[in-house]
Amino acid sequence: MVWVETVLNGIFLGGLYGILGLGLALVFGVMKVINVAHGDFIVLSAFIGVFLSAAVPGVSPLLIILPVVAIAAGLGWAFQSVLMNRVIDSDDMLVPMLLTFGVSFVMRNIMLETFGATPVTLEAGALSRASFQVAGLHLGVLPVLTLAISVVLFGGLNWLITRTEIGRVIRATSDNTAIARLMGVRPGRIYALVMALSLALAAVAGLLLAMRTSFTPSSGIDRILIAFEVVVLGGLGSFWGALLAGIALGVTQLVGFRFDANSGLLYAHLLFLAFLIARPNGLFGSK
Amino acid sequence: MDVIQIERLEAFYGDMQALFGVSLGLRAGETFALVGANGAGKSTLMRALVGLVRDRRGHIRLGGEELIATSPEQIARAGIALVPEGRQLFASLTVEENLQMGAMNRRRGPWDLEAIYGLFPVLRERRRQMAVTMSGGQQQMVAIGRALMANPRVLLCDELSLGLAPVIVSQIYDSFARIRAEGMSMIIVEQDIERAIAVSDRMACLLHGQVTLRVEDTARVDIDALSAAYFGE
Repeated sequence: MVWVETVLNGIFLGGLYGILGLGLALVFGVMKVINVAHGDFIVLSAFIGVFLSAAVPGVSPLLIILPVVAIAAGLGWAFQSVLMNRVIDSDDMLVPMLLTFGVSFVMRNIMLETFGATPVTLEAGALSRASFQVAGLHLGVLPVLTLAISVVLFGGLNWLITRTEIGRVIRATSDNTAIARLMGVRPGRIYALVMALSLALAAVAGLLLAMRTSFTPSSGIDRILIAFEVVVLGGLGSFWGALLAGIALGVTQLVGFRFDANSGLLYAHLLFLAFLIARPNGLFGSK
Repeated sequence: MDVIQIERLEAFYGDMQALFGVSLGLRAGETFALVGANGAGKSTLMRALVGLVRDRRGHIRLGGEELIATSPEQIARAGIALVPEGRQLFASLTVEENLQMGAMNRRRGPWDLEAIYGLFPVLRERRRQMAVTMSGGQQQMVAIGRALMANPRVLLCDELSLGLAPVIVSQIYDSFARIRAEGMSMIIVEQDIERAIAVSDRMACLLHGQVTLRVEDTARVDIDALSAAYFGE
């Protein structure tokens, strides 16, 4: 029973990992830019959540998600419009990535200056301890809720991209930017929208993760490492692949944790390494 | 008055100049053909008109409005649409989604999904199919439909027949009668000179980025003069 619980908890955690990678995959899929600062935006969202939670005590942390998502989306829009769009047309793919690299450093140090290096968590209160029993299994409410939110976000984004007009324009811009402009599309706006979406997703993941584990201004590195693994393992640009990859990593981490309490993310990284050798194009990668 | 007036148009790719002072006018409702050898600058002229070649000088006036310094998206809104060389359909979009992209600017006019499906019935049958999985001729129909969906004042067609079987090319040009009947003004680039003469009212020959011959009535073409203009003899 303990093993079943472990695997289930791994799946719950994996949904969250999927979301970590989803925003990164979205930006890469549309703009062919690797946003190295993605992890730092995740951490920043968590800090904003902690700040808001302290400012209005007694409000459920799940409700805190809403304003934080709005702030993160606004930040994403501004980040893309003000900074990234200046270099996005560069012939050298490295230029936009280097800019995000610089932004990552600046953000980390500003957060260190502002919030200090002490690990903090987002207090979820009773929610973090709430649990229920199903068929003899002892499951936490928060992890189950986390997976539910993840699945809804994956489904929602998939719907947005494949079924709506804005999704159609995003896909067209990603396919052929020059020709999309001939249809009247302003790519800068589409990119800003995509970055806003990406960081909104990052904010949800950041807050949910902050309810589980403590974090510091330097945690962005750990976050983006998982996000990278999710994106590559799932196959670049594959949405559902990212969710499955997240689940694979989450299950491996928690099962590994059963064997060796000090392993942390070691086994998840090893799984990633094994896959990189066996299937370099990811679970759903083409070519 | 001409729908579109091109005056002393120059275009550059980096340090290389591709157009050297091209002047042309397009009358309302007419079909104007551009012919010329490979590298003569026909496609560059098309791409300069819609803003895809950014480094350009001179004048491009659409109904009196100067477009030489405007972005591709603004030119699209002003009403110039291009059927690009090689079709360039959106690979992750279905046939219908590709067509809908053309209507982004919400310009009014006779061309909507129904009208395009009336023009090319096969596209209605295949509207849920990914556009790039279709045959070359059908893809060309999508590319034409996508440009028409913008209800442009001027339609530019760059090498429609490229890579297509002659029978398919004929089918596609047959649809031009319908497009002209709606009053569309068109500039077409065509390698096949006989076909260019057949479908156009007037034509011009380009060589080394300059106009070497203007034909005011394609019913009376001096083949020797055209040949000289084409090859630069």
